[in-house]
Amino acid sequence: MSVGGVQNDFPHPFWRMLARRDVLAGLLFIGVAVLGLWLSRDYPIGTALRMGTGYVPRLLCWLLLGLGAVVLVQGLREAQDARPLSSSDVSALRDLIFVTASLVIFGLSIERLGLIISILLLIGVGAVAARGLRPFETIAAAVVLIILSWGIFILGLGLTIPVWPEW
Amino acid sequence: MELLHNLAVGFGVALTPANLLFALGGALIGTLIGVLPGIGPIATIAMLLPLTFHLEPTSGLIMLAGIFYGAQYGGSTTAILVNLPGETSSVVTCIDGHQMARQGRAGAALAVAALASFFAGCVATMLIATFAPPLTKVGQSFGAPEYFSLMVLGLIAAVVLAHGSVIKAIAMIVLGLLLGLVGTDGNTGGTRFTFGIIELTDGIDIATLAIGIFGLGEIITNLTQPPETRALIAKKITRLWPTREDFHRAWPAVLRGTALGSVLGVLPGGGATLSAFAAYALEKRSSKHPSQFGRGAVEGVAGPESANNAGAQTSFIPMLTLGIPGNAVMALMIGALTIHGIQPGPQIMSERPGMFWGMIASMWIGNLMLVIINLPLIGMWVQLLKVPYRFLYLAILLFCGIGVYTVSNSAAAVLLAAFFGVLGYVFTRLECEPAPMILGFVLGPLMEENLRRAMRISSGDPAIFVERPISLGLLIAALALCVLVALPAIRSKREEAFQE
Repeated sequence: MSVGGVQNDFPHPFWRMLARRDVLAGLLFIGVAVLGLWLSRDYPIGTALRMGTGYVPRLLCWLLLGLGAVVLVQGLREAQDARPLSSSDVSALRDLIFVTASLVIFGLSIERLGLIISILLLIGVGAVAARGLRPFETIAAAVVLIILSWGIFILGLGLTIPVWPEW
Repeated sequence: MELLHNLAVGFGVALTPANLLFALGGALIGTLIGVLPGIGPIATIAMLLPLTFHLEPTSGLIMLAGIFYGAQYGGSTTAILVNLPGETSSVVTCIDGHQMARQGRAGAALAVAALASFFAGCVATMLIATFAPPLTKVGQSFGAPEYFSLMVLGLIAAVVLAHGSVIKAIAMIVLGLLLGLVGTDGNTGGTRFTFGIIELTDGIDIATLAIGIFGLGEIITNLTQPPETRALIAKKITRLWPTREDFHRAWPAVLRGTALGSVLGVLPGGGATLSAFAAYALEKRSSKHPSQFGRGAVEGVAGPESANNAGAQTSFIPMLTLGIPGNAVMALMIGALTIHGIQPGPQIMSERPGMFWGMIASMWIGNLMLVIINLPLIGMWVQLLKVPYRFLYLAILLFCGIGVYTVSNSAAAVLLAAFFGVLGYVFTRLECEPAPMILGFVLGPLMEENLRRAMRISSGDPAIFVERPISLGLLIAALALCVLVALPAIRSKREEAFQE
C-alpha cells in the first residue's frame, strides 16, 4: 500500500506525479502481474493442446502487465496533478486500520475464545473507527448484537461455533 | 402451452410456505437496505451468501433475488421522501420524486413509483419466462469455442457499459480472472498462487472475496466520508392515491420505461442503474413539457422507476440461461449456485426445472408482496432512516465477520476477507471499479476450462475461435465494442451520458 506515504503537499514533483490515481493503479497492476509471474515461474506451461498449470495464469499475468503499463502511461501523461490523492485519503488510514484490525482479531479469537468474547473484541476495536460513538452506546450495541447473532447463528441455523472459551 | 405448464411448476414451488417466507424475507431485507443509505444490495447479498449455504438452493436463490428487487423499491422511497438515493439506481428518482414530495404530493409519488415498479416487474417476469427457454436452447448448442468467445464478449460489454476507465476495468477483469485461478487446477492437479497456505488450495471462496471487497470496502469508504445531513420531509403523508391526471401522464412513461429497462437489463453491464438513467433521459427528451422536469414531473418518477425494476429482473436472463453474469449481483447469484455444487449454465433449466421456474414465479410473487407491504409500511421505513450509521456500521462489520467464518468454519477466511477489505478500499480510492473483478473471478475457471476444451477440439490451433462463425461473430462484437469506446467522439459522448 503506497497510499500511506502520501501527504497533501508534496515538495518533490516526483512524489506529486506518483500520487496520481492512475499512476498508482498502474503500478498496482504491474506489481500484481510481476508477483504472479514470479510465483508461477516453476508452474509447467505445457502446450496449447495440453495446457499445463501455468499456461493460463502466465498468459493473464502478461496481459495484466501490459494493461498496467497502459494505465501507468496514461496517468503519467495526464495533465499536471489532475486528480491527485488528497489529505483525506491519509486521514482515512486510521479507520482502515481499526476496521481491518477488528476483523483480524475476530478471526483469530473466534475459535479459541468463542463467539461472545470475539464479538466484544470486534466491537471494542471497531468502535474506535466509528466517530461519535459513546461508551454507553457501544455497550448497548454489543449486548444487542451478541443476542442477535446468538439467536440467528447458534439457535436459528444451529451452527457449530464455540460460544464460550474452550479451556 | 408449455409456458403455462412451466409457470404452474414454478408457482407450485414458489407457493410453498417456506419459499413464500423466504421471498417475503428477501423482499423485506431488500427494502430495508434499499432504504438505508450506506449499504447496497451487492454488499448485503455478499453478507447473506454464507447464510444461503444452510438453506435449500431454491430458497436461497429466492431470498437473494428478493433482496435485489426489494432494494429497487426501498431505494425509491428514500429518494422521494428524503432526497437521498438509497441505491444508485434511484438517483434519478430524487430529481422529480423529491420535488413532488415538497409540493405535498409525496403519497402520489410513492404510489406511482410502487405501481410502476410492480407493472415493470410483472412484464419482466413474463419476459424471462418467455425468452429463457429459447435462449437456453441457443446456449445448449454452443460448444467450448463459442462459450469462450461469449464470455469474452460478456466481460468486455460489461465494462464498456459501466462507467469509468475501460482500460482499468479490463485490468480489473484480468485481476479477477487470476484470483479465480487461485487454488488447485482441476485439470492437472497442480496448485497455483496458494503461497503454501492450506486453506487456499480449495481456491478463494466467492463469499470471502465479495464480503471483503464490497462489504468491508464499503464500510471503510462510508466511515471516511463526512456524515450526511438527512432532511426528512416531516409532513404526514395524507393522500396516497395519485390523481387521474397523474395516471394519465404516468402510464405511457411506465410503458416506455419498462420496455427500455427490459432491453438494457439483458445486456452485460446493464441492469437497474443504467436502465433508470436511460429512462429519465428518454422521458425528458420525448416529453411535450420538458421544462417541468426537475419540478415534480410524474413521468420523471414513473419512467425510471419502472425501468430500474425491469432492468433488475431481466438481468437474470443471461445468468439463468447461459450462466453468464451481467453484473456483480448476478455474479454473486452464480456464487450461491456453486456453493451448492450447481454448475450454472443452460443445463439448469432442464436439470432443475423446479428451481428455475420456482425462482421466476417467486419474483412475481415478491413484486406483489412489495406493493402490498410497502405502501402501508412507508412510515416505518422512514423511521429507520433515523438510525445513525455508527450503529449500522457495527452490525454490518459483525455480520461480515461471522458470515465469512461460517462459510467454511475457517479463521483463515476471516483474515483473507480483511485483506480483501483493504484491497477494496484501495481500489475505490484509485477509482478502479471492483465489480468487473467479481465477474472475472466467477468466469475465470470456466473460461480456462472452455479454452482447454476448445484447444483439444482444434488440436491446439487457436484459429478455431475465428473459424467457427458464431464464435467469430461474438469476438468481432467484443472487438467492435472496444474500438467504439476508443474512438474519441464516442468516448466524450459516453462520458456525457454518465454525467447526466
